[in-house]
Amino acid sequence: MPLLEIRGLAKQFGGLQALAGVDFSIDEGEIVSVIGPNGAGKTTFFNTISGMYPPDTGEILFEGEDIAGLTPDRIAKRGIARTFQNVRLFPNMTVLENIMVAQHCRTSKGVFAALFRTPAFQREEAEIRQRAVDVLGFFGTRLTGYRFEQPAFALSYANRRRLEIARAMATQPRLLLLDEPTAGMNPRETRELTGLIGKLRSERGFTIVVIEHDMRVVRDVSDRVFVLDHGTKIAEGSYADISTNEDVITAYLGRPTGEGAA
Amino acid sequence: MTTATAPAVLGGDFEVRKALRGGLLAGTIAVFISAIGMVETFNERLIVDPILSLGYAALLWIPVLFGYRVSKRLALEGMEAPKVGAGNVIAGALLGATGGAIVGAFVLLVDAVNVRSTLINVTPAMIDLLAFGASVVVGALLLVVVGGALGALGGSFHLINPRVRSSVLTGVSWMVLFAFTELVFGDIFGTNGLDWLWLDRLMYGSGRGLTIGAAGVVFLAAVLVSLRFKGRVRGTVARFQALPENKRRSRGLYLGAGMLVAGLVLPSVFGSYLNEVLASVGLFMLMGIGLNVVVGFAGLLDLGYVAFFAVGAYTTAVLTSPLSPNVAPQMAFFEALPFVLLMAAIAGLIVGTPVIRMRGDYLAIVTLAFGEIARLIFQADWLSGTFGGAQGILQIGKGSIHTLFGYVVVAIGVVGLIIGFLRWREGRRLDREGGAAHLPGNSTPGMGITIMAGSAGAIAFGLLFPSFATWTVTGIDSEAVFRMVLMFVAIAGYVSWRLQESRVGRAWMAMREDEQVAESMGINVVTAKLLAFVIGAMLASLGGALFAVKIGTIFPSSFKIVQSIIILVIVIVGGMGSLRGVAIGALVLIGILGGPTQTGLLREFQEYKLLLYGAILVYMMLQRPEGLLPSSRRTRELHQEEFLQDAWIKTQEGAAAVAEVEAEEAET
Repeated sequence: MPLLEIRGLAKQFGGLQALAGVDFSIDEGEIVSVIGPNGAGKTTFFNTISGMYPPDTGEILFEGEDIAGLTPDRIAKRGIARTFQNVRLFPNMTVLENIMVAQHCRTSKGVFAALFRTPAFQREEAEIRQRAVDVLGFFGTRLTGYRFEQPAFALSYANRRRLEIARAMATQPRLLLLDEPTAGMNPRETRELTGLIGKLRSERGFTIVVIEHDMRVVRDVSDRVFVLDHGTKIAEGSYADISTNEDVITAYLGRPTGEGAA
Repeated sequence: MTTATAPAVLGGDFEVRKALRGGLLAGTIAVFISAIGMVETFNERLIVDPILSLGYAALLWIPVLFGYRVSKRLALEGMEAPKVGAGNVIAGALLGATGGAIVGAFVLLVDAVNVRSTLINVTPAMIDLLAFGASVVVGALLLVVVGGALGALGGSFHLINPRVRSSVLTGVSWMVLFAFTELVFGDIFGTNGLDWLWLDRLMYGSGRGLTIGAAGVVFLAAVLVSLRFKGRVRGTVARFQALPENKRRSRGLYLGAGMLVAGLVLPSVFGSYLNEVLASVGLFMLMGIGLNVVVGFAGLLDLGYVAFFAVGAYTTAVLTSPLSPNVAPQMAFFEALPFVLLMAAIAGLIVGTPVIRMRGDYLAIVTLAFGEIARLIFQADWLSGTFGGAQGILQIGKGSIHTLFGYVVVAIGVVGLIIGFLRWREGRRLDREGGAAHLPGNSTPGMGITIMAGSAGAIAFGLLFPSFATWTVTGIDSEAVFRMVLMFVAIAGYVSWRLQESRVGRAWMAMREDEQVAESMGINVVTAKLLAFVIGAMLASLGGALFAVKIGTIFPSSFKIVQSIIILVIVIVGGMGSLRGVAIGALVLIGILGGPTQTGLLREFQEYKLLLYGAILVYMMLQRPEGLLPSSRRTRELHQEEFLQDAWIKTQEGAAAVAEVEAEEAET
């Protein structure tokens, strides 16, 4: 059984058909890249999976259960976490707090435990903190040490992207949705992050769907590439297949019209 | 701190246009203050008998402050210090003279033309005051001269050493404070049988303000103390802030405990007037803490907070008063309290549920409406069988305050014992598992024993307290009320502090930052918002219950929109999201100016209270939007760029300060 299986997913905004019946599936442990030209519906695809918009029609089966129409927090609790194309951290919270708060759905202590500081509450707080330190340690020393107490807005752009990934990891998902993780990074940072995406699977066991524009990243990380255009799947397959696929090239570069084209 | 100064003026030099413009503004403000009758009303109160009345003081600060500000230049680190010289004085003088001329022109005008049909406060007595008792023409000229002189004084402040300047300012502030607290001192001396000392008569002479001698002594003492200790206070604060989190927290806890003990003992020596004022302060502090949970933590702008205050007050009234029309179980106050909290929680859910999906302005508007709806429901004829309609409810249960106080202390003691025991056990467990993993805030056996000992003391005190207090239990006893309010404030403060640093508090924080993202990170925003509303409502209802027993009678008109606004102003002026800030905000605003129906220390300000609230709010928004004592988070938020610039400096200074403290502790 695939970890995530999507059938006939459609979403319309006014007159714009952002998704027009997409079928998609990913197995446990796979890394799949979603590519496509601007406006192809990639981010809408993520937004509907993560519950930010309910789909108009279609089924989203996660671990065999339909999650279409659930609220984002319940979907996060089921085990799907995401990052955002335009980094959306909690800018005035510290690095550590950003990660601690993301464990909300995996922890349970409420008002009374907090008021009386029961031993169970203290244990849980210590665990939350420990796990946050652990998750941040995944990125080497970039987000550790004195950075724990820095507000997220004080981080460099690349670190903000890393912190966002760390925050998604902290919700302890099975499936990670990364929306253009390397956008705006320089080549060295991009290479480093490409390696990290591989490690996310090999060391942490996440299944990953990644939206990406940088074809070298796509080539290096993905088992499979999924191409969207105008809200429909136009191709799917290995990187080698996709890079030579006529439809994909047309979608990206446009079809020459008129007789001038040779 | 940034200050909104106009473009730089050359050192010692001045710009004529700027001075004239400043003078125009200063003059207009002075005319406004006079025309609304402040000068005349305040003239009754003397600051220094018989030289300076509050009425004149209300005018005379204007040229001094403006004269100072006109040539103030923002000096940043690394920039050349602005040159000072005669230009500062001349600019101030020109500004003051311009302002004086405008007031003079106003005097001449209102003397020639009678405008009392519209501006009823422009009385001949006021004109006489403004003209310094002379004829209007001479008075107008005098105004120009006095204005010029004061403006020059303001301008010349630039020439003095900043440290001396701030000490003089401190001296003046203390003098004014002492002048205002005349009644309080008389009361304190009277209450404690110290009348024979004649101190109050020495200080206040005829009873209308400080005597010249006393004013001089207070001024000098304040100046000397401030010169001596200014740097130290700042140094101590800086060192405290540089302490590691767990030490800072435990010291803060001791400080809080110390304040609580002081709060329990001091009311007996305060005298009824100060107790009355402080009880109002506490009442608003309590509600400020509650609103801070909703607005400061969860970021939900609730303008109808008075609704929960009303629910608390009315529930208490109906349950305790023998005169409540339909239902009159005549419970004791403390028996009614659980029901009050329950009703408030329900009210919180009722208001919270429909506004779950609203944000920002829309939420504010809808909650504003809920506040009015609550008042109208309590006022409505069809429910007058229960709530007494416009006649309100009389004879709300009182006199049981002392009993409850004892019970509350005992209850806290019992809870404390349990917590202490749990901490002790947890601390032992941690020790066994190897103490290396002690995280900040974790238990140690010593901590548990300390808590248990304190709790045992509280139980003993609570059990004995009713017998201490039997001789004072009659009607409305301001001392008992204040103690009571203080206990509730302490509870509210504890609740809000604990919640802020928990999973729930973090969820609120995230929701305030970005609701959509918080939701996709697994936070159920519906529960989080409802929880904020319910907790805020419960804290407000405690305030309402106290208000009801304190006053003994409630009417729907006590629960107007202005209550919500004033609580919000306290939170904003004090510092949103900061517990200390809310406490300071309530102390300053309610303590000095007074609440909507409560008097503060400055009873003369009664009529102008709302005007001053507005002025303070506008000033704060322009000059210090983060509030008086903001949380570090909020300061960062509003000054991101400065934070980034200072970040590396701070880390170095902080490291140095920590090293210093640790060295000190290693010695002892």
